[in-house]
Amino acid sequence: MVELIVDGHRMTVPPGQQLLAACLAEGIYIPHLCHLEEAPRPAAACRLCFVEIAGVPAPQPACTIRVASALKVRTDTPAVRRLQRMALRLLLSAHHIDCRRCHANRACALQSIARFLKVGLHPKPLMAIARPDEVDRHHPFIDHYPRRCVLCGRCVRTCRNGNDHPQFSFTGRGIDTVVRHYASNLALDKRCSECRRCVAACPVGALQWRREGAGASESVD
Amino acid sequence: MLMEMGLDREEIAALATIRSELKEIPAQRRYLIPLLQRVQQALSYLPQAAIQLVAQHLHLSPSEVYGVATFYNQFRFTPPGRHPVRVCMGTACHVKGGDIILEHFERKLEIKEGETTPDREFSIERVACVGCCALAPVALMGDALHGHMMTGKVEGLILRVQIEKEKARREMGDRDER
Amino acid sequence: MSASETSPLEAWTALQAEAQQRERQRATGHPIQITVGLASCGIAAGGMETQAAFAEAIATQGLPAELRTVGCCGHCYAEPVVIIDHPQSGFPALFYHEVNPGKVHMLVRNFLLGGDPCLEHVMGAMEANDLLPAVNDFARFGLEKRIVMERCGRIDPASIAAYLADGGYGALASALALSPAEIVARITAAGLRGRGGAGYPTGEKWRLAASQSATERHLICNADEGDPGAYMDRTLIESNPHQLIEGMLIAAYAVGASRAKIYIRAEYPLAVSTLEVALAQARQHGLLGDAILGSHFGIEIEIFQGSGAFVCGEETALIRSMEGFRGTPRHRPPYPSVSGLFDAPTVINNVKTLSIVPPIIAKGADWFRGIGTAESPGTAIFSVVGDVTHPGLVEIPMGVTLRHLIFDVCGGIPDQKHFKAAQIGGPSGGCLNETFLDTPIDFDTLAEAGAMMGSGGLVVMNAESCMVDVARFFLEFTQKESCGKCAFCRIGTHHLLTCLEALTKGKAEAGALELLQTLSEDICNGSLCGLGKTAPNPVLTSLRHFAEDYRAHLEQQRCPGLTCRPLIAHYIDLEKCARGCDACVGVCPVAAVFTTSTRKKGIDIDLCIQCGECIAACPPQYDAVRVVSPPALAPRVERPQTDPPKNAEEG
Ligand SMILES: Cc1cc2nc3c(=O)[nH]c(=O)nc-3n(C[C@H](O)[C@H](O)[C@H](O)COP(=O)(O)O)c2cc1C
Ligand code: SF4
Ligand code: SF4
Ligand code: SF4
Ligand code: SF4
Ligand code: FES
Ligand code: FES
Ligand code: FES
Repeated sequence: MVELIVDGHRMTVPPGQQLLAACLAEGIYIPHLCHLEEAPRPAAACRLCFVEIAGVPAPQPACTIRVASALKVRTDTPAVRRLQRMALRLLLSAHHIDCRRCHANRACALQSIARFLKVGLHPKPLMAIARPDEVDRHHPFIDHYPRRCVLCGRCVRTCRNGNDHPQFSFTGRGIDTVVRHYASNLALDKRCSECRRCVAACPVGALQWRREGAGASESVD
Repeated sequence: MLMEMGLDREEIAALATIRSELKEIPAQRRYLIPLLQRVQQALSYLPQAAIQLVAQHLHLSPSEVYGVATFYNQFRFTPPGRHPVRVCMGTACHVKGGDIILEHFERKLEIKEGETTPDREFSIERVACVGCCALAPVALMGDALHGHMMTGKVEGLILRVQIEKEKARREMGDRDER
Repeated sequence: MSASETSPLEAWTALQAEAQQRERQRATGHPIQITVGLASCGIAAGGMETQAAFAEAIATQGLPAELRTVGCCGHCYAEPVVIIDHPQSGFPALFYHEVNPGKVHMLVRNFLLGGDPCLEHVMGAMEANDLLPAVNDFARFGLEKRIVMERCGRIDPASIAAYLADGGYGALASALALSPAEIVARITAAGLRGRGGAGYPTGEKWRLAASQSATERHLICNADEGDPGAYMDRTLIESNPHQLIEGMLIAAYAVGASRAKIYIRAEYPLAVSTLEVALAQARQHGLLGDAILGSHFGIEIEIFQGSGAFVCGEETALIRSMEGFRGTPRHRPPYPSVSGLFDAPTVINNVKTLSIVPPIIAKGADWFRGIGTAESPGTAIFSVVGDVTHPGLVEIPMGVTLRHLIFDVCGGIPDQKHFKAAQIGGPSGGCLNETFLDTPIDFDTLAEAGAMMGSGGLVVMNAESCMVDVARFFLEFTQKESCGKCAFCRIGTHHLLTCLEALTKGKAEAGALELLQTLSEDICNGSLCGLGKTAPNPVLTSLRHFAEDYRAHLEQQRCPGLTCRPLIAHYIDLEKCARGCDACVGVCPVAAVFTTSTRKKGIDIDLCIQCGECIAACPPQYDAVRVVSPPALAPRVERPQTDPPKNAEEG
């Protein structure tokens, strides 16, 4: 076992344990969006889970650290908070805030992270970025809201892990990246109607099981 | 076949050739990009039918194939013009006013970068350094490279294509009359 | 072929003897040798037509001449270049510049048939002599130190015999007589640092990969070269592919790789086909495949064509793309040397890094250490573009100053203009001002200045350049090429670009510079991969070294470099404009030039797109067109009612 000291709190973990998971298990909250427990390699995409490790000059994402030897970690230094707040502000600047009409309202990771970091949902000096259409209905029974999506990739990776043929994929590149379902295929659609894990994996309100879609899934059966 | 909707006869034939070639290529994911390159070489773009075909062969979902294809600059999803115009927007060409050349093509052809003229004659794209910075600014019309571009040359290049086309049409007409 | 009793060295000596024999025969049959430079840039400048014109003349006139092609000689400003070696004429081999088909006919008539070398078209002689200056005495030729590009422009890239006869593959033969560990030790002793940008010690990388216990190891040559202003990797491949192949074979042997690949941009068709030809030739000569040079070592080299994404130059993204995925980078560690392609240990090296390996093996670590600086031995290759007299590819020792490179080697800045800035290292590099002119350039000094060696792009800019616009240009590139995976780079670069665009339009709000600064710092610290971590460098360095440019844009809506088109205006100085002169009228793409009531010319401010063509067209003795910023400084000249704006189509 390896000893960790996080914010002065002592704990022991098995070697090779992921730092973020270890902290979360101990009840030490570190903001995160793209972390996926079962993933073999971290995505390290949301850039929220920064921590400072004694002896390492710059903050590091906790999801990328495998604990090999004793570490002294701080989760709330000014450098960490500065990066986290900027990352969140950036995500929010590309996010269409309309919580009242969003099905994720009050269960949304963005809301809780904003509260935790004391950042308003409308980030100041950054101007809002217009993103594509309100809702994408390419998938036979899952609606996707690109303007709510934070591109954490949890849906894509969850689907790939549970199913060799992910039904959602990132498309495009850079600021134009969107999660999309491209074309349907009856056998795979049927699997979706039983699985729904991507919808559960979404930390925000960007994927929704379409109510009228439930009917569609039965017609496929 | 439903899959081939929206393709013209030549495109369907090209797709059939590719389908027969597929047997040679192992169904391994690492062949995805080479395969897409092969398809685009034959069809000059990636229609939905081709994406489905590639997905089927490699046992991937079409979403996954489309996701990979849209990541790379090389792949296009609408047919290009017969005379694709590519304007260099590399560093040297930028410093020498490449944007003015691009704008002038856009103005003269009345389309924006990334678009094709309605008659499918021209399309405009921006490219990064084509490796002839000493000739900046540079533009390509088809495969022919033109250095030291000026707005006047833009008009000349377009005019030349239009004259060629007009000539070809007259010759066709002559032949038809005979 | 199976491993035989002959040693690799003996096998190579036999190959070389045969190649030399072939080369001699070729030369003796043809008393006149004509050499045309046909790398991409030569072709672009019309080299194919030049070559065709010579071919036709040789055929129709039955000239005893042989027409050869070589790659890039580095003097891209002089293309198409031709070297004529006509010993019977009594002249040494001569270097001609800008040879179009017209000049070809003249040279055939006067020189090849008539014996008059047309000296007014000669740039110089290829060797020292009593008649003419030799090109090597010119600064642009003589001050270079070529070790990677040494054979470029000298040998035919399509001929393995030319390379073998020149000593090529000799380093491979001697390497195969050493143990892999000895080669790694030699590269480490030479202090070779990777030329792909970051300058990571190559020996260390190889040692790490070789020390992994694995059944399979990969070697990948990174020829993705996505920097929008650099083209040396492509040129090296087009001009001397065998040196790269030789370097790859030595590297593969040293790290124990069982598979080797070249990741090259599909947009480089000539480089791809040159490589294909070279690989086939190497295979035929027993230099590729099983039992190379009769040894126990064997390997194949495959080509993988990249589909055009700058980020795929980043090594983890490159690997993803070879595996058939979107080319998004992954967190490191694990480093590719430990777990790379298909999770096997993988060494990734740049084209230049691998091409330096054969000379190091052939001439030794001490020789290499003798060039350049202690921490950055060897040479650097820059593609010098922008406001310099002699742009092109330049190979110089590390540690040379910018002043020497720009003013001595590249002939300085044309039109008596002043130096303002140098942008080094492309999208991840930085903008340096004149205080850096005397800093020696190597990996570490550039990093201290906030720039980077990067790919070796060097843009020289005169006083009429705008650093805000340069930063905007690079950010436009990086934000377009961001893979979109991580929040800082995907969204952050977009905001940087928006802010820079506002500045170049004179529409930025107070606080814009502070936002640029903080956001840039956070993107550097927060991004996942090298693209995001370095993308703000052009902004940070220009903010630091050219703050006055930014302030002028922000506070006065003024572009001091007269570059940002929304902030400038062209007008015609009526004092200077010559009555009746029409030179600027026809060139204006939007017919903005009109005739004033005094039969001089004026510019319609509402139509003018600030393209500057009228400046170029105005005869130098009048020099009447002026540019000012902010636009309000331009005197307003009314268009007379009698001269309504013409349709641009008729102009
Ligand atoms: C965004 C980005 C683009 C890169 N592009 C290239 C490239 O085009 N060519 C290259 O050799 N290295 C490129 N690199 C560096 C590679 O990741 C890698 O460090 C290099 O190929 C290693 O080779 P070396 O050790 O020989 O320098 C790039 C890195 C980043 C972050
Ligand atoms: S995803 Fe979250 S932050 Fe966005 S609108 Fe829905 S509830 Fe609000
Ligand atoms: S849809 Fe949800 S889970 Fe998928 S990438 Fe977007 S935010 Fe993440
Ligand atoms: S820094 Fe940019 S290019 Fe690199 S992983 Fe993040 S988004 Fe992709
Ligand atoms: S700058 Fe260009 S658009 Fe303006 S008047 Fe001169 S030629 Fe015409
Ligand atoms: S959870 Fe670590 S970067 Fe997203
Ligand atoms: S920048 Fe246009 S050719 Fe290099
Ligand atoms: S490519 Fe011809 S001299 Fe550079």
